[in-house]
Amino acid sequence: MVGLAGVVGLVLALGERGGTTTAAGHPTSLAEALPDDDPLGPPPRPGLAIPRPELLASGIDGVTLWAPVLRALTVRAAPSETARIVARVTATTPERTENIVLVMGPTHGSDRLWVPIRGSGTTGWVPREALGGYEAVDTRLLVDTNALTATLLRADEVVFRARIGVGTADAPTPTGSFYVRNRLTRYRSALYGPVAFGTSARSSLTDWPAGGFVGIHGTNRPDLLPGRVSHGCIRMRNADILELARLMPVGTPLEIT
Amino acid sequence: MQLDIDALDRDGALRETTAGVPRETRKDFLVATLGGGAALAALVLAEPGKAQSKADVAILNYALTLEYLQAAFYTEAERRKALRTRLARQTTRVLGSVERAHVSALRDALGAAAVKRPSFDFQGTTEDEDAFIKTAVAFEDLGTAAYKGQAHRLDSPQLLAAAVSIHSVEARHAAWIRYLAGALPASSALDEPKSMAETQRLVASTGFIVATPSTQSQEEPRFTG
Repeated sequence: MVGLAGVVGLVLALGERGGTTTAAGHPTSLAEALPDDDPLGPPPRPGLAIPRPELLASGIDGVTLWAPVLRALTVRAAPSETARIVARVTATTPERTENIVLVMGPTHGSDRLWVPIRGSGTTGWVPREALGGYEAVDTRLLVDTNALTATLLRADEVVFRARIGVGTADAPTPTGSFYVRNRLTRYRSALYGPVAFGTSARSSLTDWPAGGFVGIHGTNRPDLLPGRVSHGCIRMRNADILELARLMPVGTPLEIT
Repeated sequence: MQLDIDALDRDGALRETTAGVPRETRKDFLVATLGGGAALAALVLAEPGKAQSKADVAILNYALTLEYLQAAFYTEAERRKALRTRLARQTTRVLGSVERAHVSALRDALGAAAVKRPSFDFQGTTEDEDAFIKTAVAFEDLGTAAYKGQAHRLDSPQLLAAAVSIHSVEARHAAWIRYLAGALPASSALDEPKSMAETQRLVASTGFIVATPSTQSQEEPRFTG
């Protein structure tokens, strides 16, 4: 049986060079055991440059999560099957894209998981299994209806700003917290410019076809911008909407003041 | 609590033959990504003047897809703030940072040949500590076995050296997360490798890789204008 002293002796011997052999011819050091020339040479250098791991910023890392709605669902006032129903959310938008909701905080529950969400015109709780996978965005769009500006932040840095058109006094752009829920391209109407984003915000024109949702889009009347010229939508010049489309993913929170 | 790769096999697909696994969109996606087929056209890695074989590119993309999976899992768990214990939160934070570093390294090496990040639906496993730990054990065991299964097939000695370096880190993760689960960190004298096909089938059986949400359209806008 090899005792502790034996183990220590082996470690010390392995660390020495120029050891001796025992009477039986067994090497007593690692150097003694190796051939004079290492036939394999030095190990190859790793072929990938692995960067230093970076922790997420503690607490909030500037990211918002959103999730697709897998099936039409009821939103409840509390994380419980018996809680009051505050809204219903459809699985698709009027533009035939998957509907999405923002994820507003930690999940609740053990037997059944409940997620706090913001949908179009509502906040509340929905069962986790009614949502798809979470997607993350680190952008926020701020629309100032007084200054007539739209400002996109990425990780709290301004990356885009443009002058805009907003709703008239009769059809004002709604203020509050919303989000971008889809992106439309290659449609025919020049009225909306080359790209249009659908949002969760609804104008006061709820009789409008498809529910009166507010979009962010280009225009065929750039001469009217900036101004209070729309039925609630946020208009910008076509060059600006194309630049915004390059920078702003679906799921971006939208703050209109 | 079962703490091995079988814990991922919630729909029993593992027990089916490969031929018996139904083809679905997400599984087709897996074939394209975990099989490495999506990027075989580009054969030159990002390092200037360093041509790599088709097999190396395919294996790196396979590794990248698994690293995307692990990085997304830990990152989401940290962001969902559902882990109760301080040790679980700390472990998740560190493991997430390392997996993101692996993703970054593989993407840099593959350059334009890198597969895109898939969409994931972890189905609540990042939001419940017990489910999270169980899944993490399975992921780390799977990652370790997957690297072991492919490293010897790499043509480039430099990439082999890198793969072995990552493999040992994944093995440390596996031990760490097993410790967190209250299981033996190292319970066997020999770890078996996993083939690409086995790994692909295991990941597909979880349903964690999903189609990207369809949020774009060419419909005529009907916004208020």
